[in-house]
Amino acid sequence: MNFELIIDILPAFGHAALVTLQASILAIVIGAAAGFMLNALAQIYPTTFGIFYRGFVWLIRGTPFLAQLFVIYFGLPQFGITLDAMQATVIGLGIYGAAYFAEIFRAAWQSIPNGQIEAGRAFGLGRRQILRHIEAPQAIRLAVPMLTNQAILILKESSVASIITVPELTMTAGTIVAETFSYAEPYLLLGLIYWLLALAFAGLGHGSEHWLGRRQTH
Amino acid sequence: MLPTSIPMISLRGVSKSYGANRVLFDFDLDVERGEVVSLIGPSGSGKTTALRCMNFLEEYDAGEIRIRGALLGYRVDHDGRRKRESERSIAEVRAPVAMVFQQFNLWPHMRVIDNVTAPLILAKGLPQASARTRGLEALDRVGMAHKADAYPAQLSGGQQQRIGIARALAVAPEVMLLDEPTSALDPELVDEVLEVIQSLARDGMTMVMVTHEMSFAAKVSSRVVFMEAGRIVESGPPQQLFTAPATDRLRSFLRTWFERSHAAATPVGAIHSLPSPV
Amino acid sequence: MTLAERLADYMPAIASGMLTTAWLSMLAIVLGFFAALGLYVLRTRSGRIGAGAVKMYVSFFRGTPLLVQLLMLFYLPAAFGVDIQSELAAIAALGLNSAAFQSEILRAGFAAIPHAQIEAARVFGLNPRQILWHIQVPQVLRITLPSLTSETIDIIKGSAVISVLAIADLMRVGKQLVAVSHRPLEVYLSIALAYLLLTTLIAMLASAVVHRSREEKHA
Repeated sequence: MNFELIIDILPAFGHAALVTLQASILAIVIGAAAGFMLNALAQIYPTTFGIFYRGFVWLIRGTPFLAQLFVIYFGLPQFGITLDAMQATVIGLGIYGAAYFAEIFRAAWQSIPNGQIEAGRAFGLGRRQILRHIEAPQAIRLAVPMLTNQAILILKESSVASIITVPELTMTAGTIVAETFSYAEPYLLLGLIYWLLALAFAGLGHGSEHWLGRRQTH
Repeated sequence: MLPTSIPMISLRGVSKSYGANRVLFDFDLDVERGEVVSLIGPSGSGKTTALRCMNFLEEYDAGEIRIRGALLGYRVDHDGRRKRESERSIAEVRAPVAMVFQQFNLWPHMRVIDNVTAPLILAKGLPQASARTRGLEALDRVGMAHKADAYPAQLSGGQQQRIGIARALAVAPEVMLLDEPTSALDPELVDEVLEVIQSLARDGMTMVMVTHEMSFAAKVSSRVVFMEAGRIVESGPPQQLFTAPATDRLRSFLRTWFERSHAAATPVGAIHSLPSPV
Repeated sequence: MTLAERLADYMPAIASGMLTTAWLSMLAIVLGFFAALGLYVLRTRSGRIGAGAVKMYVSFFRGTPLLVQLLMLFYLPAAFGVDIQSELAAIAALGLNSAAFQSEILRAGFAAIPHAQIEAARVFGLNPRQILWHIQVPQVLRITLPSLTSETIDIIKGSAVISVLAIADLMRVGKQLVAVSHRPLEVYLSIALAYLLLTTLIAMLASAVVHRSREEKHA
């Protein structure tokens, strides 16, 4: 194990990690927002929007992200829409995430017992108040673990962007291997860095759960 | 009882604690072949623990438990120290003992017949065909042969418990342990199980039973043992214990039971077969 | 050539790619299942060290991307002079990855079986191996079938990355078809739909099995 080499390549990995995080976090935010709206639309307009929603979810969740990315990056130019690798990645991951986030919000919303909403109505709360004070807080609390999990999934899926040469972690590891002719250190470091990032995401998620839980006890 | 025969089950000075909580104190009991021994007493008296020690479902901290003379669970090495036996030798020593559980503990993913033959095929290595024959015989003995291909979830509690008894019978045990066999049953299903147990007793099966069914215990036992707080308080033939309890504690226990069962829906035959213990 | 004619032309290659993808995925799932059982036994019977090792294994394989695991399994042996064949690395990566996920799924299944059933098996003389295979595993499979189905679908989708090792799976077939037809949009959409077909079939199959077993067991 060449420790000098590890020190040497750390800066490159540092930059690559930033690219990975940039793409992932952008995609998470876009995906969560889009997913939330998709679910909201499907709940409010079930007859007109429902079929589109279910079809979208089925398609995105039933196919590999890599295939979706290729459609966006290699296929769209046929329509005159040319995106660079990073743009395609962020948009692709955002759409991919949106389908999963939408389902997470749907599950969280559905798991609130009807009795609580009835109680709200019985005590004279308006629809908007019930939404804001009874449903939303609980739905969020239920959703956080699933949202954290999905964030980690998006982080991991970002590695696929290496295949279309986005200079994120996985691609950078390959470049370093080609330059240094050593396989072990770059790939071991690669695995370690992703692992630590995933653990960090998980830690943030747990922290959020605790913070939210504390606020709810009074 | 022949003094020269070895007891089926013999407990000497058995003690057991759960952490700081002592459940059995210096417990002595002999069960001879052909006896039906009922353990009765309030909850927490240690009767279920004592029963579960008899087939080493619970480990015991001190004393000796012997099944047909063979030491169960531990051996004493040349230094006089207790050492836990291997799973295999424990299984050998407990082989003549079969158990019927309060919650039946049938395996839900297997058909009734497979529940009964599994111990024969897997533990005793019997071939499928002979295991099936013995299994059907055992099921017939408890009146459940017609349900051999059903799944436990499709049957009532009383039927499931009878299958539990059949499973215990099929291994041709020398002694059966019954852990509150009817406590988990709806009242109208209790009798069918008690009838099966009674017929086994009549056929000479050696049994140790923990039960709350006092009148049944009176009817079927050759000996009743009243326990409280981990010790045997009184022990003797049911006539003696139930009609002329020697200790105050047994008297008050029987009175509580009598009043409670008298106040509740009258179980047929229960009150009438038992004179008031006052 | 019309679109329909082109699609018809793609069919044989896509079918072949589907076969490779399906075959490799199934192999990985099955291997992963038995490995996950092994992990469970290790976790419950080998004390704190065994349990700790399993937890680290699961954490690593669930916390790092499949592509990275694939590359590590393919290239790290090269650092020690061992040459690994692409298919072997692919199956190993998919299998080891799936083992980690399945181990968490199965763990929940094992926990759902009342301990009293294990006790009963023990006093009737069954040894731990028999208890595992005859009492626990059949029930665990039944209980965890929905989650195992999700995991199977994840593996089929995840297998798309093995194309970087030049294995002739669905994605690689796509690349080859694009090289010839120069129509990436319809090719990759067809590839995506081929994956969709596979995953949907698995979901429908599992749903049918769940319904049938539910009918069988209850009054």
